[in-house]
Amino acid sequence: MKRESTARHLAVAATALLAAAAALLGLALLAGASPLDALRSLAEGAVGSNAALGETLARATALVLTATGASLAFRAGVLNIGLEGQFLAGALAAAAVGPLLSGAPGLARAGLLVAGALAGALWVLPAAFLEARRGVPEVLSTILLNLVAAAAVSGLVRGALRDPAGDYPQSRALADAVRLAPLVAGSRATAAILVALALALLVALVLERTPLGLKLRATGLAPAASRAIGLPGARLRLLAFTASGALAGLAGSLEVLAVTGRLYDPFSAGAGYTGIAAALLGGSHPLGAAASALFFAALGAGSSAMQRDTGVPGALATIVPGVLVLAVLAARARLTPKGA
Amino acid sequence: MSGFLVVALLLAAPLLLAAAGELLLERAGSIQIGLEGTMLIGAFTAFAAARSGAGPHAALLAAAFAGLLAGTVFALFAVAGRADPILVGTAWNLVAAGGTAFAYQLFAGATGSVLEVKTLPTLVFGLPAAVLATFLLPAVLEVFLARTRPGLALVAAGENPLALAAAGRSVVTVRTAASVAAGALGASGGALLVLTVSPTFVEGVTAGRGFLALALVVFGRWKPLRLVPGALLVGGATALQYRLQAGGATRIPYAVFLALPGLLALFALAAARGRGGAPKALGTPAP
Amino acid sequence: MNDALGHRSSGSIAQMLTPPSKKSSISCSVPSLELRRISKRFGETQALSEASLVILPGEIHALLGENGAGKSTLVSIAAGRLAADSGQILRGGSPVSFRRARDARDAGLALVPQHDLLIGAASVADNLSLLDPAAPFFESAPTRRARVAYLAEVFAFDLGDADARVDSLPVGTRQRIEIAGALAGDPEVLILDEPTAVLSPDETAALFASLRRRADAGGAVVLITHRLAEVFAGADRLTLLARGRSVKTCRVSETTPEEIGGLLIAGAEGAVEKKEKEGEKIFLEGKENGVAREDAAVQAERLGAPGGSFTLEEKRRYRNLEVSGFAPNVASVVRAESVSLSLSPGELLVLLAIDGNGADTIARAIAGLEGFSGRVEVGGVPLPTSGDPLAFRAAGGAFVPADRREEGLVAGLSLSENLALPDPPGRIFLDRAAMQARAGERLVAFGIRAASSAALAGSLSGGNQQKVVLARELAQRPRVLVAVHPTRGLDLASAAAIRSRILDACRSGSAALVVTADPDETQLFGAPLRVVYRGRLSAPFAPTTPVERLSRLMAGLAA
Repeated sequence: MKRESTARHLAVAATALLAAAAALLGLALLAGASPLDALRSLAEGAVGSNAALGETLARATALVLTATGASLAFRAGVLNIGLEGQFLAGALAAAAVGPLLSGAPGLARAGLLVAGALAGALWVLPAAFLEARRGVPEVLSTILLNLVAAAAVSGLVRGALRDPAGDYPQSRALADAVRLAPLVAGSRATAAILVALALALLVALVLERTPLGLKLRATGLAPAASRAIGLPGARLRLLAFTASGALAGLAGSLEVLAVTGRLYDPFSAGAGYTGIAAALLGGSHPLGAAASALFFAALGAGSSAMQRDTGVPGALATIVPGVLVLAVLAARARLTPKGA
Repeated sequence: MSGFLVVALLLAAPLLLAAAGELLLERAGSIQIGLEGTMLIGAFTAFAAARSGAGPHAALLAAAFAGLLAGTVFALFAVAGRADPILVGTAWNLVAAGGTAFAYQLFAGATGSVLEVKTLPTLVFGLPAAVLATFLLPAVLEVFLARTRPGLALVAAGENPLALAAAGRSVVTVRTAASVAAGALGASGGALLVLTVSPTFVEGVTAGRGFLALALVVFGRWKPLRLVPGALLVGGATALQYRLQAGGATRIPYAVFLALPGLLALFALAAARGRGGAPKALGTPAP
Repeated sequence: MNDALGHRSSGSIAQMLTPPSKKSSISCSVPSLELRRISKRFGETQALSEASLVILPGEIHALLGENGAGKSTLVSIAAGRLAADSGQILRGGSPVSFRRARDARDAGLALVPQHDLLIGAASVADNLSLLDPAAPFFESAPTRRARVAYLAEVFAFDLGDADARVDSLPVGTRQRIEIAGALAGDPEVLILDEPTAVLSPDETAALFASLRRRADAGGAVVLITHRLAEVFAGADRLTLLARGRSVKTCRVSETTPEEIGGLLIAGAEGAVEKKEKEGEKIFLEGKENGVAREDAAVQAERLGAPGGSFTLEEKRRYRNLEVSGFAPNVASVVRAESVSLSLSPGELLVLLAIDGNGADTIARAIAGLEGFSGRVEVGGVPLPTSGDPLAFRAAGGAFVPADRREEGLVAGLSLSENLALPDPPGRIFLDRAAMQARAGERLVAFGIRAASSAALAGSLSGGNQQKVVLARELAQRPRVLVAVHPTRGLDLASAAAIRSRILDACRSGSAALVVTADPDETQLFGAPLRVVYRGRLSAPFAPTTPVERLSRLMAGLAA
């Protein structure tokens, strides 16, 4: 996951945004709506009011964290495709631990988040072990772990974690005192988004400004040289891998704490995968990734409004990130001379 | 045949078909982790064709054709364009999941009613011809990979692409062909689902089967015939779980059935020596 | 062309597998293959400039030259793998143009390149089927086994068990499988790129015997090799390449190993530069006298160690590098066995070897990049035999790899960042000021030409990159510096600068082990040397040993 020069990255990003805009307009036309109306409705639904902005920020929380986690892993040369599973592991831990925690809400929240981050980090370990000991590509093992995590959520909300009071297969709700209150009345945004953005900034600082970050980047850029230079490559990779898992796990527990209040099935709308898309669009820089995550969240919030107002299906919000990533990959392939 | 066995085989077939295609692509050295997306495209295409008046067999063909296109697009990015196949696959899943949901909403409108399609006619033992053919496919692939010239070239592309290039063959061509075949098989797998056990389309109808098929390839250690036991196990477990659910007995931990394929594949990787039979050049760009 | 395996649509296996016919129809005066004034450029590098090669039917033709002389490029062009920028290819007297490897193959040319061509996970029979362009669409297991048996018999090759997985076979057998695969299409011209690099002497002899049979049957064989002994024992004619030009073509019987050895070295250096180098040598000799011979005890004393008589333990402690009973664990026939050497403070030892004789793997294994058996101690600290670069460095080792772009530098990081690795300064945040200061100081001290310390390491020229590597490696005043081909590919001034830095380090108490393929370099270092041939270390030689003698030793000829 090499980073390119800023100018080249801007060129790639511009190409991608053009492709996304074309996709957006094309799909709106396909759905028989006026592209201008659709865009207006999309924008209003994303940032047009306090409620709309709140919706965007609420959706962004998980994405910012998974995108940060993906950036951290990619920069250290770890292809962590398991963010989805690590996100679910964190949510599962929060749902399991949450109702048990009593006492001061602050303490309960902290315990819940620590449990989530821990679960996300633990969910990485089988993949890290297989990679270090057997040379099994982390891509394969993390995909399998995603499956197992999804299965665990699905099974546990019907089994051990099921809320006996409810009709649906879902876990018991967190106490209202523990759940995060909105920052502004009438908005869904909570302090969780601030936590997520602060962590993105922190990871950016670690990567760009600390000795550890320099070592991580060197390992990701040139594994053979880093080994010869005497960097502990295996340890650095493991560190980046588990830290990215912890970030995804934290995203899962924050989702329970701030947005849903409980676990149900299916729980994730692909936060792990969209996070990877955001990281790629942001050049694997945590701040670029966070900005991309905010953009995708706005797209998600806006497309719901667009569907309501103009009838253009809201699934557009899933298509556009995918198109963006494909456009980035294609633009890079064109901009990279052969054999380089 | 007993109803249970028929259901188990019907549930195993889509997985087996998709896994067989993915196996071809991975043996050629590329990997499409967006198989879930390709299956969704196949399922939707079959559904839309059937609802538009095509017979079930024509619907299956339409899905296979859509899969050909899907495989071609993937190859354009990940093989010829030499983009990281993992990232292309991740994006592919997003585009396909969003795209099929989008298309379904346009196609079906806002009606909440379930739109049924006609299922494939059964040939013998309550199984359609396409399902029977699916169970023959691994043996055919085994012979193809071991005994034919294009099969050997495909294995070479996955094990030692430089050698293939040195012999004057194009690695890009071989991998593209494998990707096209994998797309057709994956989409047909998705179509089988809609044309046999669940004769309708809903968003995300494949429910993770594309990822299960990826797991089966690993569990089968990249050998076609070894896909069959894994597919039967998962098909049987799912059928059993349907039956238990219908009988109201949901005491057996549901998660066990769901997690089974992923866990089995992980254990297979952990127990195997080395990389568990993974092609040497899996995921590396063509020279 | 495909009389052996081409016509297999009908008849029995025995019928379709008839032995290759003697090609008496080709007149001896018409070359089988002629390359005329071939030029090829890769970016900044002129790989070939008007190189020519004439191959006659029925001969074994050796293609010689130092690394980077353009041998592999030339044969790749002949085999249609690369397109020449200019020049002409004639096949049997008429011009041809190869757009693809297949065109060359169809014209009766087969190339066995240096890199591994086999599928490790497949059987011998499957691999040979893949290598046979005339293999049919479908092939049963018995037919594939029959091909193995046929090729083994016709070429008198031991190809191993037809059903064995190739990655379970010894490297010599794998080499024969590749050559047999190339021969299966019955090419008129067979080109082998360093086939003997990985073979044992017995295997080499067997290979030459079968190549000779091939030539006697009218085929032509082109052979790239570094080993003069083989050339003079087995080849008919030779062509010498130097810096992309063909400088000599003659019959082997008309020349001597000494002449060719001299030309090889002269060609590698270039006449004008040779003179400059001699000037440099005089300059260095004035400065360097005595450094390499400084006594360990004296040096240790100067470094503040207790004076007087040393116990065995103390002596060991002040040995910078101690290697005994050592052998790297690498999968190659040419690997060093039972190497022993020791370096005290201030000592420099040159390992002189032609590539492929195991000198570079000795250096890599000492630096912890390969596993090894035996014992390696740096400053009295034994290193783990599993190969651990961190342990090597922790004990005071420094390493300059042969491949500076892959292993020496992180091309995507800036100079100041590269120079700060592996232990960047700063407790919480990077101390950018300290990094800049260090980089600025190093850039000046090592004469590194760069726009600024913020420039990406990948943007520098080769010579400047190598200086950066050395600047980083010498920053910690290592106990021992292991450097592999530290001056390869550098311009003269850069090479001289690199050498003088290494000598400076020795003067201040480091020891150095330098691997080089250039006999002149040993004189420029003014240090004792040991020649490595097929993994064996010679006894030490003085730096004043004549270059002619050294090149004979390097080629495995009796000195």
